[in-house]
Amino acid sequence: MSDRSADGLAGWLRGWGPAVSMASRNLRRNRVRTALAVLGVCIGVLAVAALGIFGNVLALGADDAIGDIGTQVVVSPNADAGVESLSNADVASIRRAVDGAAGGGAAVVPLYSDSATVARQGDQTFATVYGVEEPALAYEAAEGRLPDRHRQGAILGAGIAADLGAGAGDTVEIAGSQVRVIAVLVESQTFSPVAPDDAVYLPESAFSADGYAQALVVSDSGEAARVAADAIREEVNAREERVELFELAALVDEINEFFGLLSTFLLGLGAISLVVAGVSILNVMLMSTVERRQEIGVMRAVGVARRDVLRVLLAEAGLIGAVGAAAGTLLTVLLVAGLVVAAEEVDVALALDPTNGYYLLLALVFGVGVGLVSGAYPAWKAANERPVEALRN
Amino acid sequence: MSGNAADDAGADDPAVGDTPVGDPPVRDDYGVALRGVVKRYPSGGGGPVVALDEVDFAVRPGEFVAVVGPSGSGKSTLLNVLGLLDDPTAGRRLLDGTDVTDLSVAERTRARKESIGFVFQDFHLLPTLTAVENVAMPTAFDPGDASDRAADLLSRFGLGDRLDHEPSELSGGQKQRVAIARALINEPSVLLADEPTGNLDTETGEAILAEFERVKREGVAVVAVTHDPLVEEYADRVVDLTDGEMTGGLPGGGESDSDDAGAPVPDDGESATDDDPAAADDPATAGGDR
Repeated sequence: MSDRSADGLAGWLRGWGPAVSMASRNLRRNRVRTALAVLGVCIGVLAVAALGIFGNVLALGADDAIGDIGTQVVVSPNADAGVESLSNADVASIRRAVDGAAGGGAAVVPLYSDSATVARQGDQTFATVYGVEEPALAYEAAEGRLPDRHRQGAILGAGIAADLGAGAGDTVEIAGSQVRVIAVLVESQTFSPVAPDDAVYLPESAFSADGYAQALVVSDSGEAARVAADAIREEVNAREERVELFELAALVDEINEFFGLLSTFLLGLGAISLVVAGVSILNVMLMSTVERRQEIGVMRAVGVARRDVLRVLLAEAGLIGAVGAAAGTLLTVLLVAGLVVAAEEVDVALALDPTNGYYLLLALVFGVGVGLVSGAYPAWKAANERPVEALRN
Repeated sequence: MSGNAADDAGADDPAVGDTPVGDPPVRDDYGVALRGVVKRYPSGGGGPVVALDEVDFAVRPGEFVAVVGPSGSGKSTLLNVLGLLDDPTAGRRLLDGTDVTDLSVAERTRARKESIGFVFQDFHLLPTLTAVENVAMPTAFDPGDASDRAADLLSRFGLGDRLDHEPSELSGGQKQRVAIARALINEPSVLLADEPTGNLDTETGEAILAEFERVKREGVAVVAVTHDPLVEEYADRVVDLTDGEMTGGLPGGGESDSDDAGAPVPDDGESATDDDPAAADDPATAGGDR
């Protein structure tokens, strides 16, 4: 039984050799018509692949630009409910909530907050001053080193360090007292209400407030941030709305959704041209099968099975699709390469992102598919015509 | 397709070309036969058109029969029914002694490939294929390569130096020889020709008819539908078809049509009578009730 089906499969495969050979010769009979149909598919595939990649690069670029915007949750006291600051108990319950959340692992960094004049050698600026115990959990140093426990010295945001021309080891004056700079943070890629670039971080001991102004919850991913935020809402706000949460994950979702929509829209635009290409293949195949009606009738008369006639005609349409799709894919690659070379704004890494290959493959498959689908009806029609009708002059 | 395996097995057997339907007891019987065949076509106004009217027709292996008659007399229909391109409305059709009246489309296609060769007035070669490829075309989708066989056939027909020529590079006579070679590629028992000399000058036509004689000497039943008196000269028997009614359809007089009703296999009645006109008249009168 399996032997027989294996034979059947081998026979099925074998039939495609002569079918493709005959098909390619038939296509060469009317080169201009074939070339135009191929061109149609080529343009369609180019449109799908190029627009798909374009949308993808936009989305990737945006993702890159907004970066880990979604990985932070800012927890603030809810002033409407009369909560002025976060107590140690609040912070503890936030920690509990976050640790208990699926994935866990998010760091909770409570912050004191104040503002002060920061000056150095005549330059002076007004800055937010945060009190933080474990800065290394939320930030990275560009210069100097972030201590595990912040006991002394100031950490400057990238913007303020640039304004004052200060680096690690320099001394700045904060609210009248001289403080040594122990580190400068890397420039922030993150849009956050806690903007680190224009802030100064001091040890908690520099503050005499009786509660934290905010707590940062820093996660590895947007998904983890969302889970943490939900956990905090359930745990800390169970009885009363003690805290307000500011999470950007939702915003990021919306941005991603927008880019998803944009990509789909662009793909749709490309698909229209591919459909047009399909119609042109349909037209070419219909014309060609009508012209070759007698030939097909002769093949059937001398004993070529319907299936094999169908194969020859499907192979013709498939070849148009495949050649057009291959050319379109190649053109897309060249186009993207040209764009990378010509436009500096296009990041090479974005253009080479493996997800772009998916769009190339998609366009290639669609090109061949359009050929087969468009060829199916004319092929079926021609193969099923009674030879006695087809042979009639 | 389910028939494929059986098809393959048959094609692997070298003897299969000689006995396509493989039934030794009836091997010396008619190559092809029609028994009381009626073919009606629906027509626009009035009743159906009767293209074949109670036709009894048989051709022995090695016999060359010419079917003559005016245009529209049903000659093409006869050829189509004989060649399994069209089904009769009523009556029986036999190929190598096997009833092939009701076959599925796939079975008919296979039977055409294995047992019937066609030669057309317009040659009907595929313009994209070379001479060899045209000859091998009926077997192009089968396992094995028939190119050698095709080349042998072409050489036999004096086209050994034209193997790789395309039809556009061949003369009319050469094209028709290629077409005959194509018809013989599967060693059929029946060769059906529709006006084989219609597009050829007399000299070339004679050459083609000489080829038919050779083919028939190899035991193939040859049927040619024609207007050409030349064909009649070469034929062993000339059958007249007028308004769907046939005269002299059975060889050597043939048996009466009383035989038709019961026994589908015309095994023993073949040489029964010598009464040619009577046998020919019978179906005509039987079918003359329209």
